[in-house]
Amino acid sequence: MASIISAENVSKIFQQRVSQPGVLGAVRGFIAPIKRPVPAVDDITFSIAAGEAVGYLGPNGAGKSTMIKMLTGILAPSAGMVTVLGRQPQAERVANARQIGVVFGQRTQLWWELPLFESFELHRRMYRMPADLFARNRTDLTEMMGLSSFLDRPVRHLSLGQRMRAEIAMALMHDPRILFLDEPTIGLDVVAKDVVRKFLSRINRERGTTIILTTHDLQDIEEICPRLIMVDEGRLLFDGAIGELRSRFGARRRLTLEFVSEPGRVRVAGAELVGGEGRVREFLLADDGRSLVELLAALEADVDLRDVRLHEPGIEEIIRTHYQARAAA
Amino acid sequence: MRDTLSLLLYLMRLRVRTRLEFRASLVIAWAAQAFGYAGVFASIWLIITRFENIGGWTWPQMALLLGFHTLGYALGACFTLVQLRRMEEIVLGGEFDTLLVRPLNPWAYLVFSGFNIEYGGHVLLGAGLIVWALPQIPIEWDVETSILIFGALLSAALITASMLTMIGACAMILGRARYLFGIYFDFWELSRYPASIFAPAFQIALVSVMPLGYMAYVPVSVLLQRPVAYLGSAAEVAALAAGPISVLAAVVFWRFCLRRYQGGGG
Repeated sequence: MASIISAENVSKIFQQRVSQPGVLGAVRGFIAPIKRPVPAVDDITFSIAAGEAVGYLGPNGAGKSTMIKMLTGILAPSAGMVTVLGRQPQAERVANARQIGVVFGQRTQLWWELPLFESFELHRRMYRMPADLFARNRTDLTEMMGLSSFLDRPVRHLSLGQRMRAEIAMALMHDPRILFLDEPTIGLDVVAKDVVRKFLSRINRERGTTIILTTHDLQDIEEICPRLIMVDEGRLLFDGAIGELRSRFGARRRLTLEFVSEPGRVRVAGAELVGGEGRVREFLLADDGRSLVELLAALEADVDLRDVRLHEPGIEEIIRTHYQARAAA
Repeated sequence: MRDTLSLLLYLMRLRVRTRLEFRASLVIAWAAQAFGYAGVFASIWLIITRFENIGGWTWPQMALLLGFHTLGYALGACFTLVQLRRMEEIVLGGEFDTLLVRPLNPWAYLVFSGFNIEYGGHVLLGAGLIVWALPQIPIEWDVETSILIFGALLSAALITASMLTMIGACAMILGRARYLFGIYFDFWELSRYPASIFAPAFQIALVSVMPLGYMAYVPVSVLLQRPVAYLGSAAEVAALAAGPISVLAAVVFWRFCLRRYQGGGG
């Protein structure tokens, strides 16, 4: 499938002022500031095809928002090339803006003091939408997101969850080909998160809208995005299906065996004993794809089993393990 | 073009409706601003009645000067001051990013969506002073005079909007720009007096780098057929041209800052 977003060797370097210690240092910094280049995005390459849903993930300061800003035309790259729908987003900012939708989780684009429908009307005018398209989309999105009960309520009276649903509906009102979401579920309760995730997943599936999502909540990615791009310190760490993440980062399954009584020495071929006491033993499994039945068949113990648990590491755990290992290094 | 104009007018309407939601505070704001200015003008009137004139300017002449200054400022500031004075928060809080993802010039969005009807008090006071002062001053009325009055008021509005735009734009590269408004208003307050009472260096500044002299002093001096130092016979044309020239400078500077904008708010 042809790509509609591409980043080729993209870097974004900010000049950061170096703080010098002490009062003298502050005076020196005032008179002759020392600046150092800080790469927020460092030589990243990827492409995204139409209809994909991609999670863009990384810790704070990894360069996620900077990349989103370059893709949406807010910033220009320091090096490399970004194209969105065949355009350079910053050079053709207005044309790019007409074909994308952007949702910032922590910043509203709705008019605070006026009823929600007024923001939708402003959106219609801003995106020069034909009246029939606007009417159809407004009806559809209002129904899908359950907005009808508060369409005529001032935005300042809406809950965070209602507001976020309205933000997403508005971002989709003009039928954008790409929807960028920067932390869309931040601060939402469990129910509101679920509504947003299901809706985004449905929009991607039914309308074919390409979705790019940055988040700290990995469940967002697990439920919406089959593909994950992971960055850290500006560099690309991983780009692929979520299922590939485990093998790529060497995350291993954990087998917990609970015996009827103290088992003594226990061995499972191809597994490493890592813990447990009393009647419980824990093993880390080699990444050989063996089933639970095969593992139990390889069990060497004289005592009967009482319970067995096989723990598949979630992406959160994989990523946390990776970042902790990196921080320790 | 028609669509854009219609959108900008719609933004103004939304803003007016928003402001009318809080009627009591609006009326209080109008009254407070009008009284605040009236207090300053009354003190100037008292000084003039005590000393007969300020630098040779009588009270009706001063009233015309103050009327020009207030009305010209209000017409420019009602579109720009509140939003552009907030530019630092808009940039640092990331709100400016949200403007850049809309298919509209961010300056136009800011300016028209922030149209401030609180300046009603200024407008009434400024227009009232002009209407009161004009019949008391011997002015030869002809087409040129009318063009000068309306053109100079428009020019003053453009100067105000341009200067506030340039100061606000600094936030895009400096992050902080609020303190610059303090410097601007220091000059602005002095520019409501005849520039001829100040030292030459300050007079030169008011008709060059800080062109607030063109808001009232230069056009009113031309109307009163008073000499204008450093401009001479070019004063009339300069009074009319200062606004458009300021706009050009503001457009160039806004674009310069926008190109260097590095995002805000994480």
